[in-house]
Amino acid sequence: MKNGKKLAGTLAIPVIVFAACLLISSAQGIVLFDSLLSWTTFVRAAANTVLVTFALSINLNSGRFDFSIGSIALLSSVISSMITLKTGAGPLAMLVLSVFFGCLLGLLSGLLYVTVKLPPIIVSLAVALFYEGFAFTLTGGHGVTLAGNAEILGFGTIPNYLLVILTALVFMVIVYDHTRFGYEYKALLSGQKVSVSTGINEVKNAVLCYVIAGGLMGAQGFISATNNGSITMALNFGSISVMFLAFLPMFVGGFIGRFTNDKLGYLLGALSMAVISLIYVRLNVSSSYQQIISAVLMVSFLIYLNNEGRLKQIFRH
Amino acid sequence: MKSVKKFFALCLSLLMVFTLTACSQESGGGSSDDPSQKTVKIGVLVSDTTSAEALAFKAYYEKYIQSVYNVEFMYSDELKDASAEQSAIDNFIANNCQAIISFASADRPAQIEKCESEGIYYAVATGTLTDEQYEKYKGYAHYVGAIGPDLAAEYQAGYDMAKHFLDQGYTKFGMFTGASVYYTEMHIYRAAGMLAAMCEAGKGTYEGAEGMAIVGKIMGEGGNVNPGKIGSVEVNGVVAGYDFDDAWYGKLTAVANDPNVEVLLAVGSGQVAFAGFKPEGKMLGDIDCYTADSVGLMEKGTLNYLAGKFSASIGPVFAATLSAVYGKPVRDNDGNALALSQGYWVADNAEDAKKYYEVDSSTTEPAYTKEMLDTLIGASYDDFAKFVAAYSFEEIQK
Amino acid sequence: MKKELREKLLSAAPLAGMILLGILFLVFALIKDINIPYSMKNILNQSIITMVVATGAVYIYTLGAFDISLGASMCVSALVGAMAYNRTGSVAVMLGVCVGCAVLISLTSSLLASVFNLPVFVTTIAMLSLLNALVLVLIKANGTGDVIQIPAEAVSKLNTVGFKLLVFLLFFGLCVLTFNFMKLGRQEKFVGGNPLCAQLSGLNAKKLSVIGFVMAGLGVGLGAFLTITYAPTLSRNTAGSIGMDVIISIVFGGMPVSGGARSRIYSAAIGALSMTLLSQIMLMLNLNSGIGQMVKAAIFILVVFVSMLNNRKTILPR
Repeated sequence: MKNGKKLAGTLAIPVIVFAACLLISSAQGIVLFDSLLSWTTFVRAAANTVLVTFALSINLNSGRFDFSIGSIALLSSVISSMITLKTGAGPLAMLVLSVFFGCLLGLLSGLLYVTVKLPPIIVSLAVALFYEGFAFTLTGGHGVTLAGNAEILGFGTIPNYLLVILTALVFMVIVYDHTRFGYEYKALLSGQKVSVSTGINEVKNAVLCYVIAGGLMGAQGFISATNNGSITMALNFGSISVMFLAFLPMFVGGFIGRFTNDKLGYLLGALSMAVISLIYVRLNVSSSYQQIISAVLMVSFLIYLNNEGRLKQIFRH
Repeated sequence: MKSVKKFFALCLSLLMVFTLTACSQESGGGSSDDPSQKTVKIGVLVSDTTSAEALAFKAYYEKYIQSVYNVEFMYSDELKDASAEQSAIDNFIANNCQAIISFASADRPAQIEKCESEGIYYAVATGTLTDEQYEKYKGYAHYVGAIGPDLAAEYQAGYDMAKHFLDQGYTKFGMFTGASVYYTEMHIYRAAGMLAAMCEAGKGTYEGAEGMAIVGKIMGEGGNVNPGKIGSVEVNGVVAGYDFDDAWYGKLTAVANDPNVEVLLAVGSGQVAFAGFKPEGKMLGDIDCYTADSVGLMEKGTLNYLAGKFSASIGPVFAATLSAVYGKPVRDNDGNALALSQGYWVADNAEDAKKYYEVDSSTTEPAYTKEMLDTLIGASYDDFAKFVAAYSFEEIQK
Repeated sequence: MKKELREKLLSAAPLAGMILLGILFLVFALIKDINIPYSMKNILNQSIITMVVATGAVYIYTLGAFDISLGASMCVSALVGAMAYNRTGSVAVMLGVCVGCAVLISLTSSLLASVFNLPVFVTTIAMLSLLNALVLVLIKANGTGDVIQIPAEAVSKLNTVGFKLLVFLLFFGLCVLTFNFMKLGRQEKFVGGNPLCAQLSGLNAKKLSVIGFVMAGLGVGLGAFLTITYAPTLSRNTAGSIGMDVIISIVFGGMPVSGGARSRIYSAAIGALSMTLLSQIMLMLNLNSGIGQMVKAAIFILVVFVSMLNNRKTILPR
């Protein structure tokens, strides 16, 4: 594929989405990026979305549906914030702790999966229930309040969010595209049986995937907590809603991934979603309209994605 | 690998057996004719299991009331719809609950009808019935009544909070109207109260309406409050709902940081909605409850006004329910069930908030102690009403 | 021989699990002195809607597919059904509209998947989004606050365990007939177990998928109707938990989520009953919400682990 075509394919969706949002907002007489706050909202949404998208895609691409990622974000941020508040440590320590506990919770989830050898969807349901219950018990149901703690809440700046996004992207690209683990992951992804027959340790690979996804969700839990100033509890699968944040950027990223690195595709997908989030904020779009718009966007995009060939044929004639 | 599997299965089996047997202690009971010697099982319907208010109420019942009365509370899961409420009532009946205290309102008439037909006592712990509903159910033998802030009290709470800041000369507001968009009357009335106070101070109207008429205006707009000018007062940003997504948090941040907003008013959950984003120098008022966190926020100056339900406010409804179970239902002269309103404890400084919280969170000497509640068992309607009406902190402390 | 016996025993594990939970329930019921006849009625009452919906959903799971939008579909069907009742005053029309609407939604899902070549799971994610939005639109359009309700008297006569059981048995009978005694079930299992081989054998996977979704839609529609009879006040939260309940019930009943030859039509009913029994035991123990949920998770994984012991592969399941 020629470089020009690659670049066009890579940037088409984000550019179209940005242009459409700018057009719509200016038609309403509103400047989309009117202040530092708008930029912060945009970058924070991008950070949140890209972390969840990476975490979800790691296992979903391998056919492992994981309902528990939201509960890992919840529990890891609860534990890290409780320790941070108790010890008076700063936001960086909280971020490290969140990622560490995210990895640990992911490890437990992965170990359970490879031990019981049940379909991941089943294991993740049990894990989600367990972690939600554990977080609830740990905080007595009260959750954690960080509001008023200027040092921790002070993390929410554009450079910090960008740093998190960049670190996650570089980490994902290195680990999945430039290590033996990554090659084995891809081999397992395209031919599970054959790969295992050739001596790839699937169990180790799968557990590591859960650890990495857990770590990413730990970081996402941290960003949510430090942005919102509080962590509210969820029971009865209340934590799984965060997962739905990632589907559209994952599909968009999958499309962009044809032209460039798929992780960059996820990031561009997340940026596209973030600008849509920002326009909801700037135009004060109500929740019900947001749901309708998001649903229509997703269905239209999926239809396009799966019928690209046919559409091209139609337009050629 | 096989041994690992076996070990895992064994561990899980042991965990199950251990947990189930450990939890299977039988509740105490007595055989005497004295009703207070028999453990009374009371089911509690809740639509919320994680808010500070819900947890404070639960702590009062389970940590205090259950330790001083011969009662056992059985809590429902978080009830999201009418069907879940019906299932929970069925569960309570199956578990021989003699009464139900309800904090859930997806379909109150259905709850009352069900309890009446099954012959168990039913009381509303927060909020009240509409006039029409009360007229229909006040004579039901098993309807104990409703004790809690009525809609007029909710309106007043919103009005007082906005007036507190208007009196200080603030004129630019941002609002969080919570569940108003889901037509939750409590939140609509609080928001209407706030707007009514602004109409009075700004000498204007909210889209042509003032006073209680604002309630109808909000209802007509699908539960939405629109930003705009009310005479000389401005509402420069409004957020509603509980979406908890990036856009929702973005809207809250935008309103909290709007230079044209001086005061943030929340109909509830203000500590979740605004406290995390509010820059220093802006004011925040909330209608919620007293917790260690809210006191901490008041001490830091993040929260500046709190109209809070006190956890023991649900003591009288418990007393009325127990009285009914003991065969001494509290009724007025015409045999009608209770319909009493309560108000809030208001704190505009950290000292008051701390003082309220200390009493409110006590599991040994809460605001309404056993000695006080005992006076309500078998009391007359008037005495009961007098007791409930004296809800302020100072009156209770007397 | 020994292996065969072991397999037979293990395939009966879900049923044994349900019986064990039943015994545990009775033991605790006796210790706690609860109202056992009312509890039995209550358990049936609370299981039946999930049993109906999950039994229909078995057809989708057998194909190795998975529908995440069942709860939203049931909510939309119930809302439209209630609106139809309010227009016509006819319970029969309401039943027809509930079932028709649910089947239509199912057909849309399966047609979207087959016409537009979308993976079924992806289609159901998109449908979930669309249906959730539709719920808000319907409630707003109805103009009665945040609920749509019909008079309780209209359906109170149908709100009996006997009626619900009858609906379930009729639907279950239809499903058993088509799944176990007609070629439809065998073909669905074939497609779910080995799609390529099934295609080479001349089976039309798309057609079977449409039929599977229609059967699931029937279950959802009946579930929506029974929901209205149980609680005639509907809101955006109606049937909010049914999607997860269905997945858990099917798995709890011993059916592999990958579908195929080991799919059993009765798995859903066993699973739903087991889950309700477990919930009742937790309730009797009056466990704190958090701890209760943790125990529930542990028991869930244990039961599924045991019931799927004979379904192990050398590679990790996906």
